[in-house]
Amino acid sequence: MSVPDESAAADQTGSRRVMEFVLRLREAGVLAFLALLGALFATLTSTFLTTQNLTTVASSAAILAIAACAQGVVLLTRNLDVSVGSMMGFAAYLTADYAARHPDIAPWELVLIPLAIGVALGLVNGLLVAYGKVPALIATLGTMSLYRGLTYVYAHGQEVTSSRLPPWMLTSVDARVAGVPVLVVAAAAIVLVVWLFLQYYPLGRRIYAVGSNPLASFYFGLRWERVVLLAYMLCGLLCGAAGLLYAARVGTVTVVLASGWEMSSLAAAVIGGVSVSGGTGSVIGAALGAVVLATIDNGLVLLAVPEFWRMFIQGVAIVAAVAADAVIASGIGASLRTRGAK
Amino acid sequence: MLEMGKSDAPEPKPQAAVLRLEGICKSFGPVRALEDVTFDVLSGRVHGLVGENGAGKSTLVQIITGLVQPDSGRVLLAGRPVRFRTPIEARAAGVAAVYQDPKLFPHLSVAENIALGAYPTSPIGAVNRKQMHATARKLLQQLGSEIDTRALVAGLSFAEHQFIEIARALSADVRVLILDEPTSALTPAEAERLFRVVRTLRERGTAVVLITHRLEEIAAVCDDITVLRDRRHVATKPAAEVDRASLVQMMVGRPLETLFARRKAPTLGEDMLRVENLSLAGVFADVSFSVRAGEIVGMGGLVGAGRSEIAQTVFGVTPPDSGRVILHGREVRPRSPQQMLALGLAYLPENRDHDGLIMPETITHNITLPIVRTLARWSFIDRARERRLAEDAATTYRVLTPSVAQIVSSLSGGNRQKVAFAKWLATNPAALILDEPTHGIDIGSKAQVHEMIAQLAGQGLAVLLISSDLPELLAMSDRILVIAEGALVGEFSHDDATQEKVMMAAAQQGARARQ
Amino acid sequence: MKPVRASLPAWEMTLCVLIVAAGAWSTTLSPYYLSLDQIFGSTRFFIIPGLLALGLAMVVSLGEIDISLASTIAVGTVALSKFSMFGVPIAVAAPIVIAIGALFGTLNGVLVARYHLPSLAVTLGTMGAYRGFAFIIGSEVGYTDFNDSYLWLGSARLFGDIVPVSLAAFAAMAVAVWLLMHRTVFGRHCFSIGLNPDASWFAGVNLLKIKVVAYALAGALAGLAALVWVGQYGSARGDNADGSILFVVTAVVLGGMDINGGRGTISGVVLALILLGTIRNGMGLANIGGPTQTVVLGFLLVGGVLRPAFAGALARLRRSDVNRADADA
Repeated sequence: MSVPDESAAADQTGSRRVMEFVLRLREAGVLAFLALLGALFATLTSTFLTTQNLTTVASSAAILAIAACAQGVVLLTRNLDVSVGSMMGFAAYLTADYAARHPDIAPWELVLIPLAIGVALGLVNGLLVAYGKVPALIATLGTMSLYRGLTYVYAHGQEVTSSRLPPWMLTSVDARVAGVPVLVVAAAAIVLVVWLFLQYYPLGRRIYAVGSNPLASFYFGLRWERVVLLAYMLCGLLCGAAGLLYAARVGTVTVVLASGWEMSSLAAAVIGGVSVSGGTGSVIGAALGAVVLATIDNGLVLLAVPEFWRMFIQGVAIVAAVAADAVIASGIGASLRTRGAK
Repeated sequence: MLEMGKSDAPEPKPQAAVLRLEGICKSFGPVRALEDVTFDVLSGRVHGLVGENGAGKSTLVQIITGLVQPDSGRVLLAGRPVRFRTPIEARAAGVAAVYQDPKLFPHLSVAENIALGAYPTSPIGAVNRKQMHATARKLLQQLGSEIDTRALVAGLSFAEHQFIEIARALSADVRVLILDEPTSALTPAEAERLFRVVRTLRERGTAVVLITHRLEEIAAVCDDITVLRDRRHVATKPAAEVDRASLVQMMVGRPLETLFARRKAPTLGEDMLRVENLSLAGVFADVSFSVRAGEIVGMGGLVGAGRSEIAQTVFGVTPPDSGRVILHGREVRPRSPQQMLALGLAYLPENRDHDGLIMPETITHNITLPIVRTLARWSFIDRARERRLAEDAATTYRVLTPSVAQIVSSLSGGNRQKVAFAKWLATNPAALILDEPTHGIDIGSKAQVHEMIAQLAGQGLAVLLISSDLPELLAMSDRILVIAEGALVGEFSHDDATQEKVMMAAAQQGARARQ
Repeated sequence: MKPVRASLPAWEMTLCVLIVAAGAWSTTLSPYYLSLDQIFGSTRFFIIPGLLALGLAMVVSLGEIDISLASTIAVGTVALSKFSMFGVPIAVAAPIVIAIGALFGTLNGVLVARYHLPSLAVTLGTMGAYRGFAFIIGSEVGYTDFNDSYLWLGSARLFGDIVPVSLAAFAAMAVAVWLLMHRTVFGRHCFSIGLNPDASWFAGVNLLKIKVVAYALAGALAGLAALVWVGQYGSARGDNADGSILFVVTAVVLGGMDINGGRGTISGVVLALILLGTIRNGMGLANIGGPTQTVVLGFLLVGGVLRPAFAGALARLRRSDVNRADADA
């Protein structure tokens, strides 16, 4: 048996093509899956395809899409953030409380406060992970409880009822632009802007690079610490935005707002093709993943399936996505390994 | 006989050195890596840097590119002293290195890997992708490569990775390009393409430093040669003035005979380890050999030929695609080291500190790890018995240490190797594979290790000795197998073998195609 | 490179000191603190997370992680509720529930060790999947109709009604796990894999088997914890033990287990559990609300991870003094 160069090269081209195809078109796969899901639910129940229902799905997906986008940014650097829900809750509550106390708040203030809070919270996460070298899970597990706890302490057990919030805040998200809720438009715009940043700006590209090969970063003069810190801050910023929109949508802001959203945002991102080992995937995919989850939720409700299945499905989806990821990653690893090191 | 000094550069014009190393010394803790190294590299010339494993070549490259700082001495670029703190600084000044292991971003495109850190941007700060791809394409064309700049690095071959790294180096104005063993994983055709690039760079006035083991490469492409031996600079000469024999002599530097005690005529037993038609796709094919009890069989070959891979497959680290191993009469398809150890085979890994030992652990822990189950009663480890075994082993293998509770990482390289020996021999193997057993250890320990190997063979062990140290291989082995490009290409008996013959067989190209 | 054994006893000493300090603080908060009854009663805070922590410590020693253990408790309690509903004697139900825990743990282990999936991401997924599963098979309102025999492990007391059975069970498990990890071949292999999986593989350690067994044992301990839960709280529902993984991870990290694997002691983990339990109890006495307690826990977790950096800095200071002394010699 010989080991001819030619057939090895041919094999490589073949597997190379497949790998590239999968890497580039993961989003297309999610889209296809979404279409399939939609078709499934449409056949199972007549109420699925109504405009009203689809609008509901889109609205539910919108906020999760922003959270998934936030999680996605951190995942790209080969880290994760389980404080996403707590950051949303903290930003939402403080903003709502402030708005309740200052009824004459200007719109730009209302937007700026949660963003600033989010950035600050993300900064703490980033400092711990990037400079403190604390493993991402541990650091954000700690800050998850920290931020949630601080929310509790600040609130003294009170919730901010919708009646105390400026009315324009609540109606603005329900308003429609060409039949589409403002909420959905805002979410789409945010995800698009983040996507453009990651695709076309050097800083955004560095986020991909650092996750793709952290060791090589040094040789390229990329400062890994700075890039990871930035990723966490961006995540915090987006969580602030998501928190604000969530508060505006539900009206009554409780201390437990967005509890558990870390799991959902992670599930959405991972389903949407963002790899937990970093370097690949897009925030648009993450947003699509959010739509998938929202669609599944919606379908389950319409089919009168108990809500508990949601958690189960989410968990299985994460495991499946991680497994698919691992297959792709091992293909990449094999292609980078030196042939015959001795 | 191969002709040396056949480079096709015109007569060298007298020029100032673009890179000068003066009195470079470096130690890593107690281990000396470089000792007073001084030489010049001229621009527009290909400068070969040769030396055995452990001679100091990699450390030198690390110092030149700023990964590591010298303890004393200085580096001068175009006459001015420089002190780079990071590879990026070195690259900005025109000094770039391309290493054996790729430092690219697999998920990003070729063009992006080349441009990263210096993106062309539009007025609003966004990356100008068209320009990025155009620049990348131009650079690759200069190297004669037609790689699609949009392709993701993940899907490309190793040779293509190297081209991308070189293109990266060219994107800044590089004055000194260092290539560290660039052809070790390339096919001959790919290697030739690389040399065409090297010659092009030479025409442009770039100085290319080529680190290599392969004497043919030196002959084919180098204008000057620097030889390092035992961490010192031996000589720097124009390639035209050096013939093969003197090159080898400079690299090895010692007459062969005086180094090792010759083994008395060994008494050989039956076949202890027999390998038949072992193959692993893409790495080696159809390898067959046998080692008898009491025999020391040497395995020579160039770096990248596949020797370690063959050994590791025999040991079960990577299961083979086909073929079988017969150990002491028992036929088996290797599946795991656990299985092979139980059958009586032991393997001393080449990468001792990472694969052979657990550095943060004690000597005792390391020595007993493969056999700890035998030291336990009802699964509870008998610590007293364990310590006694470790102490006995340390004495037998002459490990210099006040106590077996000492942490292995604090030992010298030589002592660590002895601990590794003790560990594998504690499993009472019938056959032993040693992969570069004297790599990176001091002369004194080297001699002790050789003595140990001879003793073990004398006791009836079958020993397979993989080594890049030709004198060692020739002195210790009863027979020498030569591996080239994943195939067994030659076998020499002790009396027949010479360094030249082994080198010739090892440097054969196209062995794979001939099969 | 830092030697494995040297820095740990120092940390365990520190933990002991902290426990005494925390205890002293608690005494100032309430005159009843020092009664035997109170002290033993307060152990209930850390027994269930403690059983999980013992299991997690085994997995962490390998260099892996399992954050689905709390969800496995829920599966266990819900399974117990089913057994109770059908009148199955506890002597039969208990081992089956422990086996179920082991089964779910094995599933995690296979995904991680056989299919080489990253353990954090995978157990994040199984965390949701297992709990979702518990919700699905459980009832919405929670089952409270347990037979007394089912409650024995979590609520009864021994030796004249003082020492809780669950504490005795935990102590027994702690000793067993300590022996397993620090005195047997299995434990030796676990720590070796954590320090250097490649070298362990070369030395003939069966990585797959050891990893799967460690995960299975952690799952079995979660099954046992489910038995205790049912006794302690008298109810079974899908959301049992939700969120307790924070306490568990904190205990393991604070106890000195290196989250990257290869170093740490079970005794350290037990001490950390006692410390956390004492702090929790004290905070309760001081009327510090649950949320604030969570905040404190978060701080302790991060502090625990920064401990090696802290200890390393201290050691470097000490070593530089020694070097200076040596240089003159």
